[in-house]
Amino acid sequence: MNALDEKLNRFTKYKISEQTLRKFIDYLKQQAPVFAPHHNGEASYSYECVENSAEVVLSYPRTMQPLKKYFLPPREVLLNFNIKDNTFSKPEIIEETRIFFAVHSYEMASLKRLDYSFTQGHVESNYVSRRKYAIFVGISYTPDESHFSKSVGIDVEETEGFDLFLLPVGDGYFLLEITDTGKRLVEGFPGLAAPDTTEIKTEPLQFKSKIKYHHNRLPAVFDHVYKSKVWDKYAEICVGCGTCNLLCSTCYCFDIRDEVDLDAEHGTRTRYWDGCMLNTFAEVAGGENFRGSLARRTRHRLYRKFKYITAKSEMLHCVGCGRCSHFCPVGISMTDIVNDLITDYEEKQNKEKI
Amino acid sequence: MENLAQHAEDLYCPEIATITRVETLTASEKRFEITMPGNRPLNHKPGQFVEVSIFGFGEAPISICSSPTRGPSFDLTVRATGRLTDKMHLLEAGSQIGIRGPFGNGFDPQDFKGRDMLFICGGIGLAPLKSLIDYTLDRRNDFGRIIILYGTKNPAEILFPEEIEKWQQQTDIEFVMTVDQADEQWQGHVGVITTLIPPLELDVKNTIATVVGPPVMYKFVLMSLKGKRIPDENIYLSLERRMKCGVGKCGHCQINDTYVCQDGPVYHYPHVKQLEEAV
Amino acid sequence: MSKPRVAFFDFTSCEGCQLNKLNLENDLLSLLELVDIVEFREAMDDKAENYDVAFIEGSISTPSCVKRIYDIRRRAGVLVSLGSCAVLGGVNAMKNLHPADWVQEAVYGDDKYLFPSIPVQPVSAYVKVDYEIRGCPMSTPEFLHVLKSIVLGRKPEIFDHAVCVECKLHENECVLDKGMFCLGPVSRAGCEAICPENGQYCTGCRGLISNANVGGAIHMLKRHGFSEQEAKKKLQMYSSLNKLINEAECRHA
Repeated sequence: MNALDEKLNRFTKYKISEQTLRKFIDYLKQQAPVFAPHHNGEASYSYECVENSAEVVLSYPRTMQPLKKYFLPPREVLLNFNIKDNTFSKPEIIEETRIFFAVHSYEMASLKRLDYSFTQGHVESNYVSRRKYAIFVGISYTPDESHFSKSVGIDVEETEGFDLFLLPVGDGYFLLEITDTGKRLVEGFPGLAAPDTTEIKTEPLQFKSKIKYHHNRLPAVFDHVYKSKVWDKYAEICVGCGTCNLLCSTCYCFDIRDEVDLDAEHGTRTRYWDGCMLNTFAEVAGGENFRGSLARRTRHRLYRKFKYITAKSEMLHCVGCGRCSHFCPVGISMTDIVNDLITDYEEKQNKEKI
Repeated sequence: MENLAQHAEDLYCPEIATITRVETLTASEKRFEITMPGNRPLNHKPGQFVEVSIFGFGEAPISICSSPTRGPSFDLTVRATGRLTDKMHLLEAGSQIGIRGPFGNGFDPQDFKGRDMLFICGGIGLAPLKSLIDYTLDRRNDFGRIIILYGTKNPAEILFPEEIEKWQQQTDIEFVMTVDQADEQWQGHVGVITTLIPPLELDVKNTIATVVGPPVMYKFVLMSLKGKRIPDENIYLSLERRMKCGVGKCGHCQINDTYVCQDGPVYHYPHVKQLEEAV
Repeated sequence: MSKPRVAFFDFTSCEGCQLNKLNLENDLLSLLELVDIVEFREAMDDKAENYDVAFIEGSISTPSCVKRIYDIRRRAGVLVSLGSCAVLGGVNAMKNLHPADWVQEAVYGDDKYLFPSIPVQPVSAYVKVDYEIRGCPMSTPEFLHVLKSIVLGRKPEIFDHAVCVECKLHENECVLDKGMFCLGPVSRAGCEAICPENGQYCTGCRGLISNANVGGAIHMLKRHGFSEQEAKKKLQMYSSLNKLINEAECRHA
């Protein structure tokens, strides 16, 4: 038995049909608000609050916005203020249990990265309040042409961070109890038979998108490619739209703006997702732009994923969800950039040897 | 997460402070004296900054230009150049203003004890350095020579004329200034600030050089200091970026792997020397 | 403090931006609390001598336009150009791509000498413009934002990032992915991505982001199955005066 199967087989598990699983979602809804993937348009998916468990999508490649939208909302009022009397109040963030259902392992891994970013140095109360009582039910997935999480060390069946985990088996699922919180939820649900003792045997999943090197070697590659020509190659076709930043599950940069009501008295200080790929991101008061070129911006984006924060947090800050590649209107793929950098790195190493 | 929650801070809530004095310095710069609620001291280090906010007009990072050795109030020198700073220039003494901070890495003047201090200030760069200059003047016996080089575009842009007059008269300060373009009354040096460096006679090993100025200035000043054989580890810079949040989250001020609002704005030169986007 | 005196002027345009303001409905009354409207041809007959704020709709396309815009600038404290024609030259500026004589004749036939015409230019080609509100038609939330800012004496934020940003913030399904044409990746936001949000493609009515990679945009559109010719034509619809488009080369097959 391989190490992954060994780990999975240690958890208590139940066999559950899809029909019962949807009843389980209904049961969870009685405990707390449940958020899960839904269809969004013709071929997109998004996390939404579950109204009807029949609408929850269990098999999906990826949602458009990552799960971070529930912890760092795309638009968030930080303060309500009054201009005339110089007073303000911070909107109350209700610290409540929320259940996130049918979440993929890379998404869970991205929250671990966001946890780091919002708690190292200053601990941000807004993020922590939303995150504190969150419960996660994971589910495995079939990698599409853009997923590459295996290349950054995250298995499809990685259970870390989840309270419960779903593995498809036959015409139903195994429901695995990962934490005590998960166990309590299962215990309260009357629809399950006794724990199942069949052995789990996962099939190794084929990722179509791969990074050539083991992920442990990537920070070393990034030590040598700062001046690579690869950045110019991608800058030539990149249009700087910022989609890769905005949909990235570990990006957390933001802008803060004051917005005033029509009475010219009340208003809000609001934060919005922002991105280092956008032209004006590194502009200063005098108008100087410290990362004006698309090549420099692309480089900064990738260094944030594979080196800068990684060196401090000991975690790659790319989780292989493939959103940047999949949603890029130009078709730039993250794995292509990294593999080109690796080729460049190898050429450099070979030259040095000669 | 729950144990971290105990340390969670409301990072974006300002304190409402009061502007207790306003002084017009130049056509586009004013000095504001700010008093925190209850007249409490800000407890800042020279070189640190605060996020100033006016509701409806947003926030902007502003360097503190007074030394913590002087009273509980503190001074900000503000150039009217944006949404917040334009509005701030319209405020009078008695107005309220939001303050967050102090933030960032400042100077540790104790580390410079016994050393000769060389201040190189370009334009509004004098403002952040003034907090350290005043500190060294208030603890004059702790330091060796105090040399201040100050350059502006033209005589009309000279900040702090009163202080400068005092510095010029004080025998224990070596103050030299230059303007890029003279007017009819100007009788001093004309030329960029780097022209003031070669004539200096310095005990280079014992000299601490601190440099603050517009982005374009650093490269040339650093070359001149190198020409003087001042070791890199004796050089400190303060860098300007768009520090939106002040607490190392928003990403706007990031230079390579360093957040200016956390690791800077004051940097030991060897730390940023290799960073292409820094200077 | 007295209310700012605001005037609206129309030049070469469809006047749709002005009509759009009349559609503010509930907000229109709140707006009138903030400002005095002293001249507005679409809605009133009054005329004033000077104005704190002048909003200019339309492009400059005749000798008389030039005279008028200089005159308005002299009387106005703050001047704001309103909508694509005023800011970019807009659709009108497409005529500059053709010989002037041919255009004159096509429009006025034998009477062409009665209607002197000059190449279309945005307002900023003649006078200092303080703020720009883009869009065809201009977006009313942005108009209100700029007006509120002027009332408060603050510089309004005018965004210089792509429509994609707003689309992604709203989690709209990508129209390019649905097989539609779209200029959102290189066009200026500020419209809250109203077209893609409603299943339409972005026509780039607010012009391009600054520093736009036009060659990259053409490559992108070809990748989605559109010809280089179609890509360039649609890019030129609102931005024919943007040199980047005419100079753009698509270096990728």
